[in-house]
Amino acid sequence: MELKRRSLLAAIGAGTAAAALSGCGTGSTAAGSADGPAEGEITLLTPIYENANGKTLLEKEILGGFRKKYPDVKVNVDYTTYAHLNEKITTGMAGGLLPDVLMMGVGWIPPFAAKKAIAPLPEKFATAHDYEKRVLEPSRYDGKLYALPVVLDTRIVVYRKDHFAEAGIKKTPANWAELRAVAKQLTKDGRIGFDPFSIDLRQCWETFLFANGGQLFSADGKKVLFTDSRGVEALEFFKDLIKDGSANYAKKTDPGAPTNVQTGRASMMMTTSALWEQVREQNPELLKDDTLGAFVLANRKPAMLQGGTLVTQSASSKHPAAARALVEYLATPESILGAAKQRGSVPGLKDLSDSSYVKENKFVDLSLQNMGAACSEGGTAAWMEIREKIKPTLEPAIVGGQSAKDAIAELGRLAEAAIGRM
Amino acid sequence: MGAVSVLKARPARPPSLPGNTRPAKQRAGRTPTGPGRRRQRAGMLMVAPALLHAALWIGLPVVASVFLAFTKYDVLTPPQFVGLDNFKEMLDDAVFRKSIVNTVKSIVNTVIYTFFTVPFGMMLGLLLALALHTGLKARGIFRTAIFLPQVTATVAIALVWLWIYNPNNGLLNALLSFVGIDGPAWLSSTTWALPSVILVGVWQGIGMKMLIYLAALQSLPRELYEAASVDGASKARQFFSITLPLLKPATFFVLITSMITAFQAFDQIYILTEGGPANSTTMMTYEIYKSAFREFRVGYASAQSLVLFVLLMGFTLVNRRIMGGTRGHN
Repeated sequence: MELKRRSLLAAIGAGTAAAALSGCGTGSTAAGSADGPAEGEITLLTPIYENANGKTLLEKEILGGFRKKYPDVKVNVDYTTYAHLNEKITTGMAGGLLPDVLMMGVGWIPPFAAKKAIAPLPEKFATAHDYEKRVLEPSRYDGKLYALPVVLDTRIVVYRKDHFAEAGIKKTPANWAELRAVAKQLTKDGRIGFDPFSIDLRQCWETFLFANGGQLFSADGKKVLFTDSRGVEALEFFKDLIKDGSANYAKKTDPGAPTNVQTGRASMMMTTSALWEQVREQNPELLKDDTLGAFVLANRKPAMLQGGTLVTQSASSKHPAAARALVEYLATPESILGAAKQRGSVPGLKDLSDSSYVKENKFVDLSLQNMGAACSEGGTAAWMEIREKIKPTLEPAIVGGQSAKDAIAELGRLAEAAIGRM
Repeated sequence: MGAVSVLKARPARPPSLPGNTRPAKQRAGRTPTGPGRRRQRAGMLMVAPALLHAALWIGLPVVASVFLAFTKYDVLTPPQFVGLDNFKEMLDDAVFRKSIVNTVKSIVNTVIYTFFTVPFGMMLGLLLALALHTGLKARGIFRTAIFLPQVTATVAIALVWLWIYNPNNGLLNALLSFVGIDGPAWLSSTTWALPSVILVGVWQGIGMKMLIYLAALQSLPRELYEAASVDGASKARQFFSITLPLLKPATFFVLITSMITAFQAFDQIYILTEGGPANSTTMMTYEIYKSAFREFRVGYASAQSLVLFVLLMGFTLVNRRIMGGTRGHN
């Protein structure tokens, strides 16, 4: 039974009496025409362009160019982080204050598109630039284009060449059996052979799932597929590494802190393409001496989890033409290259694959060369709920005594229930 | 034996005001006339802004939360009435076993956290208050130092503790290494994460408890102690037979406010552990936050909030019954 006076309820749900009195709630704002002139005051919500450098890049360089092209549009920027993006969107929606343009992660498009919170974009945007073949896949829902990629972030394995040479290891592991053996061989004197846990456990397990030939969901996003043996084996592999002593959940490093391969506490680690920039700032000697190498994880097939930041447009924007113009502008090669450089991310345009930035950053270059092995998370309208369940459900199998099979079955039940509620 | 008459300092009911011989109920029911009515009207007028503020910003969200607890509401689409489904989900282990495990785990963790931060914190608060009530030198500095965590933002405190607990270069493991102990990864260990969070909670809450106890100690009548001394009662006997019984109203107040604060612990969990590892530090408020703001399940989060409210109300009533409320010395 659908309730009447929904706007009022949406507003009071967030405890915003002011919003309740003015009657502005979910979807109550009438959107104007997206084909009209780009004008008005709009808001951009972004979890990237972090710190002072990012702010300068966005407000001076990128939005400076946008203002020249669209002098009648004023852009207000609302900065946040990925950790707080959900809260910003939830409260924004409940209060009827959803920003006109939103930047969000890969996997987020289906949930918001399914609920009609974001607006579809013209298909011509998909061919405006030469995108890498698969990078637009996470931007689509139900056949329509809803977002454009700004930057991509990939999960790869980075290793210490000096540790490999010292142990007489001449080539990088081509499958999990080799990876386990090499990790065991490299573990010694308080050093761990492999650190898979310093990135988010969800994304780490997904990378192993994809490398094992598994999938998260069916193409229509209604069936859970990760509960088969491939998903269990992916989680079991972490337990095997811990059993060998070549991985240790307690030895993971915090984001931003020097990682275990930088400090030499680990010989290999799962990390993101952005590590290159971090090393350049914190340990430039490692790059100068060519101490770090990288490879794509493989078992049944090579797989590289590809996340990133997409830009999309709110369905309730009062200035849809201005919002659409900003979405388009943030995804131009100039804007993309600036954002990628600032974060050490991967630009998703073929036009940029020969740029000096890409050629100098070996992790980004490796990622672009292996884009064919890229896989992304999400793919279901229930993703926002499921993504929050993965880490706390899998963790007991790694730090507690739960079996991998039970943890995956548990996660499968939760995912099915979440999909069932859609 | 001579001390008995003085040391049995029982909490007494407040004496009636002189000349007020009518029963209280009868006085309360009396309708004021003339100047009384004008005073009442003026009083109502002065209370009105605060009342309106409370109704709008406290009353309305409470009513909305209770209502939303019976709906499926994801913020993106309008709420749909689902009856008791949200509550059933919290209990129905056939389908939502993990949910109940999480809910139970969060309740158990919350109770453990409360058990250690409240009675233990109260004991420490009282001891500190007693120490500062004596003629200790530089007690102003000590009072400020102990109270400082209370007025510092939890986020800032949690960040400092993050560094203290850092397994690689944190203060705690550095200190332990001096005595040859290889400290654990405090916040990544299922064994140590909850005690670590509890320690932060105790440390942060101790200032307020100390302050309330100190204020209560300073208001205790000195004559009772003088009389007890004359009767030959030791300091310990004075503490257990005079101080503790007379501190009962303050203890009740500290207990209730500390318990509510402990049940609502959120910031330190959010910053230090995010409920992990393996849900070992998750609390009810953190689960509510996750449901509402990360999973977009505001209806379910409202149901969880209602359960927390009922639990808190129950604990408060039980405490009130056990401790006799705020009745104490007068």
